Amino acid sequence: MAIKSLVLTGYGINSEEETSFAFEQAGFKSQIRHINDLAENPKELDDVQVLCVPGGFSYGDDTGSGNAFAQKMRLTLWDSLKKFIERDTLTIGICNGCQIVANLGLAPAIDKKYGERFVAVTHNLTARYQCRWVDVAVQETNSPWLAGIKKFHIPVAHGEGRFMMADETLKTLQDMKQIALRFVKPDGSPAKGEFPYSPNGSTDDIAGVTDPTGRILTLMPHPERGMFTWQRDDYAVLKDRARREGKTLPERADGLQLFENAAQYFGAANARKTA
Amino acid sequence: MSQRIEVITVSEDGRAKVLEQNFARQGKKVSVRIVDTYTVEDDIKKQADLQALSKSFVNPVTQKLLSRGEEGDFDWAVEIGFLPGVTDNIGHTVSELAKLTLNDNQPVYSSQVIFLKGALSEDDVKKLSSGLYNPLIQRAAIKNADTYKKDGGMDAVVPKVKLDNKGIAVDDVDLNISDEDLAKIGKDGIENADGTRRGPLGMSLLYMQAVQNYFKKLGRRAKDIEIETLAQTWSEHCKHTIFASPIDEVKDGLYKHYIKRATQEIRNARGKDDICVSVFKDNSGGIVFDKDWLITDKVETHNSPSALDPFGGAITGIVGVNRDCVGFGRGAKPVLNRYGFCLADPHSNPEFYRGKGKVNKALSPATIMKGVIAGVNHGGNCSGIPTPQGFLYFDDRYAGKPLVFAGTVGLIPRQIGEHKGHEKKAQVGDLIVMVGGKVGRDGIHGATFSSVALDEGSPATAVQIGDPITQKKFSDAIVKDIRDLGLYNAITDNGAGGLSSSVGEMGGDTNGFHVELDKVPLKYPGMQPWEIWISESQERMTLAVPPKNIEKLQSLLAKRGSESWVIGTFTDSGKCHVTWHGDTVMEIDMEFLHDGLPETPLKTTFTRGGEKEPTIAEPSDYAQTLKNMLSRLNICSKEFVATQYDHNVQGSSVLGPLQGKGRVFAEATVSRPVLNNPRGVVLSQGLAPRYSDIDTYHMATAALDIAVRNAVAAGCPIEHLAILDNFCWCSSEEPERLGQLKRACEAIFNMSVVYKTPFISGKDSMFNDFKGYDGSDNPVKISIPPTLLVSGIGVVENVSQSVSIDPKAVGDSVYIIGETKDELGASEYYWMNGKLGNNVPETDAEINLGIYETITKVNKQNLIASALPVTLGGTGVTLAKKCIASGLGMDIKIETDLRLDTFLFSESTGRVVVTVAPNDINAFEKLFGDMANKIGTVVEKPALKINSFEVKIADLETAYKSPLKDF
Repeated sequence: MAIKSLVLTGYGINSEEETSFAFEQAGFKSQIRHINDLAENPKELDDVQVLCVPGGFSYGDDTGSGNAFAQKMRLTLWDSLKKFIERDTLTIGICNGCQIVANLGLAPAIDKKYGERFVAVTHNLTARYQCRWVDVAVQETNSPWLAGIKKFHIPVAHGEGRFMMADETLKTLQDMKQIALRFVKPDGSPAKGEFPYSPNGSTDDIAGVTDPTGRILTLMPHPERGMFTWQRDDYAVLKDRARREGKTLPERADGLQLFENAAQYFGAANARKTA
Repeated sequence: MSQRIEVITVSEDGRAKVLEQNFARQGKKVSVRIVDTYTVEDDIKKQADLQALSKSFVNPVTQKLLSRGEEGDFDWAVEIGFLPGVTDNIGHTVSELAKLTLNDNQPVYSSQVIFLKGALSEDDVKKLSSGLYNPLIQRAAIKNADTYKKDGGMDAVVPKVKLDNKGIAVDDVDLNISDEDLAKIGKDGIENADGTRRGPLGMSLLYMQAVQNYFKKLGRRAKDIEIETLAQTWSEHCKHTIFASPIDEVKDGLYKHYIKRATQEIRNARGKDDICVSVFKDNSGGIVFDKDWLITDKVETHNSPSALDPFGGAITGIVGVNRDCVGFGRGAKPVLNRYGFCLADPHSNPEFYRGKGKVNKALSPATIMKGVIAGVNHGGNCSGIPTPQGFLYFDDRYAGKPLVFAGTVGLIPRQIGEHKGHEKKAQVGDLIVMVGGKVGRDGIHGATFSSVALDEGSPATAVQIGDPITQKKFSDAIVKDIRDLGLYNAITDNGAGGLSSSVGEMGGDTNGFHVELDKVPLKYPGMQPWEIWISESQERMTLAVPPKNIEKLQSLLAKRGSESWVIGTFTDSGKCHVTWHGDTVMEIDMEFLHDGLPETPLKTTFTRGGEKEPTIAEPSDYAQTLKNMLSRLNICSKEFVATQYDHNVQGSSVLGPLQGKGRVFAEATVSRPVLNNPRGVVLSQGLAPRYSDIDTYHMATAALDIAVRNAVAAGCPIEHLAILDNFCWCSSEEPERLGQLKRACEAIFNMSVVYKTPFISGKDSMFNDFKGYDGSDNPVKISIPPTLLVSGIGVVENVSQSVSIDPKAVGDSVYIIGETKDELGASEYYWMNGKLGNNVPETDAEINLGIYETITKVNKQNLIASALPVTLGGTGVTLAKKCIASGLGMDIKIETDLRLDTFLFSESTGRVVVTVAPNDINAFEKLFGDMANKIGTVVEKPALKINSFEVKIADLETAYKSPLKDF
């Protein structure tokens, strides 16, 4: 049976096409759904295994990134969403999707208090949009999204990506192993808030968190923009090196594994198609 | 009763921190807190309602609703809000949320209160806040802490447009008047009953006489709306009259004779290898991408609005050109944006006024620069269109009129259902449907600065602010959902001239239309019919929809959160027919509207500029000279712009704006817009405005050559490369300026037919002059240097053939392809030495073509490891940039008859510096022969050594990256 992913769009979300493409690469049957269509027919969620809120500029980031779209989801979809996450499903929020998922309270949802906001994802310390490649280390986590991955070289592109929270929230997230991703320097050492390794000044270098089950992941970097080698910032160097060494340049880059992990979680091993 | 809903940020706020740093640079130690404010006219009475709504704008982790007394310690409060009628996107979003959450359907007005704590006088506060808002579109209110507390906070201000429906009328205008009075109407506008004028029509006496004769023939008086429509349609902006008029012996005009003819000759010569599909007739130009897809391109300018409101001007520039993409054929999907800014030195602060007696001060270069950068940032990023490629160019003659270029590349299937993707035609009986936003007074006579102070209640008409999300909603709905259903027959953008222009153009398909103006939705009541008809309110498109499809189309749009309105019908009456509540207010012949404007023959003169070739001493310290060159504004890094524009969205970026680990700003980029297709789109730009000071012919050839060379060096085959022209000229009523223009047109004709790179689209802006007063109240006129931007767009069959600028390996050989001549005229090097000179680079198109064809050939075999064209600053700068990009050093030996500084800084065209791997040298040299000269080797040691001097890469990098680091 085909595994299905549903990628939300509408009101300024803008990364739905490439994100849906990433799921298809990993073996999903992926569909893009406008939030108004899903609100009209929320039963559609009963039939899918993965829900993705992708990147974008929903409502132009007005009133704080992700806030307005989260309100729309809260008012039109909340019961269906609760039902969806109670099933053995996976959910991911990427960039603007991360801000939406955090505002909606789907992650980190400490003690499974879904719907409660524990973290804010707010203005970068530079107060400026940052589009750049960074390195992110996977922490000790139970998230199926990140199984077997240690590190990502991956792009970020956001104006509001700084995780902020109360000290006790931070401690709980650490204790419960809900901090899934941290910004690091290229050599793997902690970024310690240093720009540009941490592009936004996030608390404790946090780049992504999960809910207690690990099935809901919310992250600021864009794995779908780093799934192929040709998308990488060092593509020209890698291409040249491979040619000199007489090797074939691998097609895949770090980001793809995350989508494949989701497929594998539902037992669709090696379902990947070639581009 | 009106109510202020105030949200205070209680945790550390990145926005406040940056303001503090900004104030510190102005010498003031201030701590800042920001309160986001939403004002409603009818207060939300129930606390529970307020709580429910506030979930959408209060993040409880970092913010809370502000109660009086919880502001914390502060000395001053400054509030910045919008003036009536100015697009308020945040307010609009909260209004939508209120409707969604509470079913409360009222407008919301956003503002920001900034609390300042520090030792500041009232004058200090005024000075600091003057950098935070633009009085043309925003208001600022200042209170000290005592007043704030006494008043119980800031005042509730509802910036509602207050116009009433009294006095709405269509006026008859008597044209049986003297030539003098006719000319006055053309110059200052139609006279109101109280003797005031409505604002310039920009119509010459010759045009006004044509209008006079037409209505004489009809035997009736003209209506105001008819004259306004003719003025719009016949404007330089819409008809490009200077490019269309006979000029000297060129009877068919510059556009037809040089630009269009070049493309036609190239297409004929290319035969079956022609890459053009739809050129010069649609909102963008379209060329072949592959057998299934076309790519489209259009570059616009938005100069005058950007001088007044840099943010608003630039954002409407970019979202406006996005619509030129969606308006191509049956609707192309925007896949890439590009930009370009010509500005004055942002470190300078010249004092200029628009009015005598020190009134209407021109904005400072830094304010303009920050504003235009932010405008493209917001417009491009919010629209989800990657913005990889662009430039910043500096010359103080752009102080009064900055140039803002914005371009959008689109992707469209070649076949959509039974139609070709690029073909569209409105049919008789189709409904005229307006999609997107409502109509306000935005942009009416907007290009003309009004010195009348804007009073409370009067909408700011001179400038417009884009609303990218409204546009994103309908753009996605059309391109991603509706287009392929075949529900409409034609689509076009509502840009300059608004409905008068878009409906007028589409009506050409059927030869007539009937519009019911009272069906057009308004942002506020009280607009005159002529205003509705020519308003340039943003985010609108016009569709021609068969009646049987209208219900389905409107319901699909509604489902995507987009509004649409049926405002009339396309007819074959031969008339533009407009009614207002049933009364005919306009009825003129389509033929007269489009072809009635009289020809104005133009005469030109030309004098070559320049001075005697100067003698300057050879540098005693070449290392320092090279560093000084790298720190020049036109050469240094623009990384701060590249990183704030999302260039990775859509996942298509291959070679981005910053290349190599040293992140050097590139002049060409490569993208892969169809993810499962290895083909790439290569974008490039070229310009050399300073060469105009000597000869615009060579300015134009250089601009074209640089655009072509940048694209080819990055991997674009020259046979799959098209170009776009954007002429930004000055004082185009002067024969001398027209002579410069004619030479530039001749130049690009001559070049393009040799390169066989067809023009596919273009735009011009002919009067970039600032007229005003200096600090001593003396009249000044600042004219930009005649500027031609050439943009390249090409297709490479596999992105694996792309070439980045950074050298890849120690031991590789460094070559310079092309000949370096004694051509320092108008160069950056002479400029640095305060000279202009005379030996401006002259381009030999035949020789350069040979080079570009060979590069094309070797790139198919990946024989070039890195390539960077030699442009502004010459070979020395190119070598330095390559070292910075890779972090690897170079050992260079220059053997030349020229003096070393001439060789290093000459800007001769046609040249590229490349590095080649040892295994590829034989094949490379065999193909290039004499065209390429080996000048050195890539080395491990991080230093650039040229003959006897050496500079550390770290020092080069500092010189290259410091000049704009504070922006």
